[in-house]
Amino acid sequence: MPTAPPDSPDFVERLRQGDRAAFGELVKTHHNMLLATARTLLSPADAEEAVQDAWIAAHRAIARFEGRSQLRTWLTRIVINQARMMLRRGGREIQFDPTDEQDALAHRFRADGHWQQAPRQWELAGPDALLTREELRRCMEKTLGRMPDNQRLVLELRDLQGMEFDDICNMLDVSASNVRVLLHRARARLFELVDHFQETGEC
Amino acid sequence: MLKCRHAVDKADALVDGTPLSRRERLALRFHLLICHHCRRYLRQLRALLGSLPRQEDALDDARTQAILDKLDPPQSH
Ligand SMILES: [Zn+2]
Repeated sequence: MPTAPPDSPDFVERLRQGDRAAFGELVKTHHNMLLATARTLLSPADAEEAVQDAWIAAHRAIARFEGRSQLRTWLTRIVINQARMMLRRGGREIQFDPTDEQDALAHRFRADGHWQQAPRQWELAGPDALLTREELRRCMEKTLGRMPDNQRLVLELRDLQGMEFDDICNMLDVSASNVRVLLHRARARLFELVDHFQETGEC
Repeated sequence: MLKCRHAVDKADALVDGTPLSRRERLALRFHLLICHHCRRYLRQLRALLGSLPRQEDALDDARTQAILDKLDPPQSH
């Protein structure tokens, strides 16, 4: 799991003083990750705009940054707020209440709760290892792209960026149980996809 | 007895390091001990999550500069 670069007190102080080079370093380190977060909610072009606007907002606010959260968490919150604002302008809103859909693995259990169709043994080593295969990688990206926004965002923050649950709940203003349900559904979709791919070689 | 369906739901807690009650933890551990399907599920889920395509590259200098250029100009004192 990726680890956030340490926010040394020294670096934070330079940022708060308006040090241009320090701010450049902040942009360099975090921009691509923030863009990946924005893209879970917006088109690529809108995501670029949202993150640029977020940098402008962060630059205006950095003198008041109190260091109560990590810089990365603070920046991600700003990006998500920008993205939600853009969605609202287009008359859209992201919902975090899970629908009552079943997860993607539900059909693989018998009524008594045991596996009807147990997971296959995956190839985890060698040239066919997970995601070293180009087709599986593409297939995965397609599935990530088609995932509902709320599941995709939670998966991004938790499983791709390794954020803490508490931080995710706070920044989205969503209960821990809802975050866990959304995350479980996202993981179930991916598991089902890879299992299917391992059996058929197809997406 | 914990059912596979519930073991799969609870597997997230192991992946995430979420604390379970002692009773839940024991039931899950016991289930994994006797059920190789669920053991396989957990092992492969971890492998899957570990191999998701991440975006961790630093931004190149030119694009960093382009972002800095759009920020408010520094205030003069
Ligand atoms: Zn089982």
